[in-house]
Amino acid sequence: MLKAMIKRALNINEEKVLINKTLQCLDKDATNKSRGNLAEDDALDWLKPRTLIRPDDQEEVPEADLEEEVGRILTTINPTWVADEVAYHYGKGKFMVKPKPMYGKAYPLYIHQGTAIRKDSDEAKAQIAAGYGMVSFDDAGPKRVKVKKTKTEEEEEEEPEQEPAPVEEVKDDEQVQEEEKAAEAAEKPAEEKPAEPTEEEPKAEEEAVADEETQEPEEKEAQQEDMGMEEYLDIKPRVKKLANQFNFCERAALTYNYPRRSVETQTIPPPRANFGATALQCIIFDYYQEDYARKMKEKEDEKPKRLKKKKAKHVKSEQQIHDERLAQRIREAWAILERLVNQNIYDDIAQDYRYWDDPSDEFREGMGSLLPLWKFQFDPMRSHAVCDVQWNPHYQDLFAVAYGSLDFTLQQKVGCLCLYSIKNPAYPEYAVITESPVICLDVYKEIPYLICVGLYDGNVCVYNAQLSLESSYQYKSNSVRDKHSNIVWEIRWGPRLIDGEPSFFSISGDGRVVQWAVMPGELQATTIITLTSSVPPIPGPDGTMLTVNSCGSCICFHPEKTEIFMVGTEDGMIHTCSLKYNRNYVRSIQGHHMPVYRIHYNNYNNSIYASCSGDWRVKIWEDGRDEPLFMFELGSPVGDVKWAPYSSTVFAACTADGKVYVYDLNVDKYRPICVQAVVSKKTKKLSRVDFNLKLPVIVCGDTKGTCHVLKLSPNLRVMCKPPKKAQGIDQRTLQIMKLDKLLSLVRDPPFQTGVVDEKFEDD
Amino acid sequence: MGDETAAPGAAPEKVIHTYPLIRHSDMSEEMRVEAVELTVTACEKYSQNNELAARMVKEAMDKKFGPSFHVVVGESYGFEVTYECTNICYMYFGGNQAICIWKCS
Repeated sequence: MLKAMIKRALNINEEKVLINKTLQCLDKDATNKSRGNLAEDDALDWLKPRTLIRPDDQEEVPEADLEEEVGRILTTINPTWVADEVAYHYGKGKFMVKPKPMYGKAYPLYIHQGTAIRKDSDEAKAQIAAGYGMVSFDDAGPKRVKVKKTKTEEEEEEEPEQEPAPVEEVKDDEQVQEEEKAAEAAEKPAEEKPAEPTEEEPKAEEEAVADEETQEPEEKEAQQEDMGMEEYLDIKPRVKKLANQFNFCERAALTYNYPRRSVETQTIPPPRANFGATALQCIIFDYYQEDYARKMKEKEDEKPKRLKKKKAKHVKSEQQIHDERLAQRIREAWAILERLVNQNIYDDIAQDYRYWDDPSDEFREGMGSLLPLWKFQFDPMRSHAVCDVQWNPHYQDLFAVAYGSLDFTLQQKVGCLCLYSIKNPAYPEYAVITESPVICLDVYKEIPYLICVGLYDGNVCVYNAQLSLESSYQYKSNSVRDKHSNIVWEIRWGPRLIDGEPSFFSISGDGRVVQWAVMPGELQATTIITLTSSVPPIPGPDGTMLTVNSCGSCICFHPEKTEIFMVGTEDGMIHTCSLKYNRNYVRSIQGHHMPVYRIHYNNYNNSIYASCSGDWRVKIWEDGRDEPLFMFELGSPVGDVKWAPYSSTVFAACTADGKVYVYDLNVDKYRPICVQAVVSKKTKKLSRVDFNLKLPVIVCGDTKGTCHVLKLSPNLRVMCKPPKKAQGIDQRTLQIMKLDKLLSLVRDPPFQTGVVDEKFEDD
Repeated sequence: MGDETAAPGAAPEKVIHTYPLIRHSDMSEEMRVEAVELTVTACEKYSQNNELAARMVKEAMDKKFGPSFHVVVGESYGFEVTYECTNICYMYFGGNQAICIWKCS
């Protein structure tokens, strides 16, 4: 713009010389300026050293010209505005003053003209000819065009008014002039042809003028010229770029590009397989059927798993039951057969048992005899002793035998519990081997197949004879916790407990009486009484005093008062005890001088009891008396004494010398009415005896494992004849009366008991 | 005698099985269940048109497990196919239809 302005002024004056001059000035000034800059920027030595690059074709201008100051006045009046321009108004038919051009409220502050020109246009050719062909067309061309255009515009519009300005302007701004000159030189050929004035530019100029004072356009123009100069300067460096602070350096770096490489791999193809089938209705149907059946089966299998298990068990046991039943039936058949055979073999004995009564009894006043019938032996138990024998309370032909050992120096390892029936003397009905010799047994009256046994090792067991032979005990005392610490000498069923459980009592050599409650699955032990002895405590090895228990040897319950029982000890004492007192005895008498083997209450009179002992004696006692009513000496240890169930005055005793004594106090108060040697006294001893409750037989066991069944001769089982006065009295009353009568005889004459001997033959 | 044999024979015939029954499959559990469900749905939807049923199963299987599944639905046919392992299911449905689904891309 600056160049354009200068040019314009120059053009107006048509002074070429001046133009040249100004151009030279401009050029020179440029150098000065750069120098000055350099001087000024001494502090900026670190900056890149600047070299002044000047166009090749720059004219030389004298120094004075260059330093000449060119003034420049800026006014606010738009120089292009014609104040009193008139135009013909056709409506009014007269000339009218044109109104000041208005642009509304929008004032263009900056208008930029495009700079592109056609390559083959005249201008472009001119420029190329002027040496700008080296520069890329786009950069060089347009600026030239613009310069030219503005110049031409301004030439046209400002020519009239701006005449005085040029000189001033040139003077004001030498640089401008110089530049102008430089530009002029290049553009001279183009100057000649005036370009067509564009519409926009003049308008803008005019508007600006209208608004502002005359000074303003000049400023504007100056600005424009500055820009033009810059543009021009910008063009030049295209040939060689001028370095100044407005030039930006663009730098670029190329990063390293990794080389490419290709890698190939091949995967394993997914495995394949072949499958073939044929779908036919029949095949589908069949498969469905098959599956359905399978499902049904599974349902059956899974549904009642528990039931099924149970069922399986049940089935199994059914098989077993079947087998067992079969075995049982066969066994029964064999048993019957065995019995048949045995009855044939022992036919004479059976006949004797049934029908033979010793005819000699009629001639022997009061005396009787025992007829040996069967002998019962169990082969495995030949060397064992019969430690206890008892008739079954329910089955009159059945008796239980306990096989143990009384030879304490040569104890047997095992024992046996057998049930014999007199119908089959050859073999026991029931036999079970026990872990320890059986010393005592008792058959439960309420449940006659329950048998409790006391063992040599202190244990007690309950056997159920109904169970199969293979099964062993049903209950057994705990060997660790509560068994006896000595031989269980006698065992007796007691009354049921409050809760209904059966219970039994055992007495042992350790001095305890223990009640055993038969709980489901176990035996519960309760110590009823501990038998104290009169022996003072013995000093123990470490200073403690050991109390000595007296050893119990037998126990007997009162038939009616269930809490009262009597205990015989090995030191011969007979203690009457009660379940309610576990410390003290109700009564205590010195019954014997040797172990009391058995005590038995009379079946008809509850206050009368008999006791037998190793001191060869059998004593008849009455409750409350310290002295026995009767005393019999049998000449040998008496193993057992039993009152007869059919008579109140008859009792039997067996002795170690193999004899059975039967007494009838009503017949003879001092002598037995029958003494029968059952076994040879050299080899065997009789241990126990028992009356059959119904039949006129007794059973006694010996120490060689044999049980002897003996028939009582008629004289031994004499029943009371009711007196003529009272015919209707039953036998029991008569028996009681008989005993009472006898007792009164014994009691009333205060003769010395205990000195009974054969002197008193007559009552 | 003849009547007796006929009577027990007639009784089981009445049982009509409609449930899907897999005859042969090496699919994973998940896939098999899906395939069976799809088959049931398709065969029930297009009970009269096996082609559509097969197409439906095939397309659904393709979508779910990737291409390319092949499906045959029919009542009577024989086949011998090559399949990608763990991608075959030969099943019966409705008592009279055999469906074979396999994948081979």
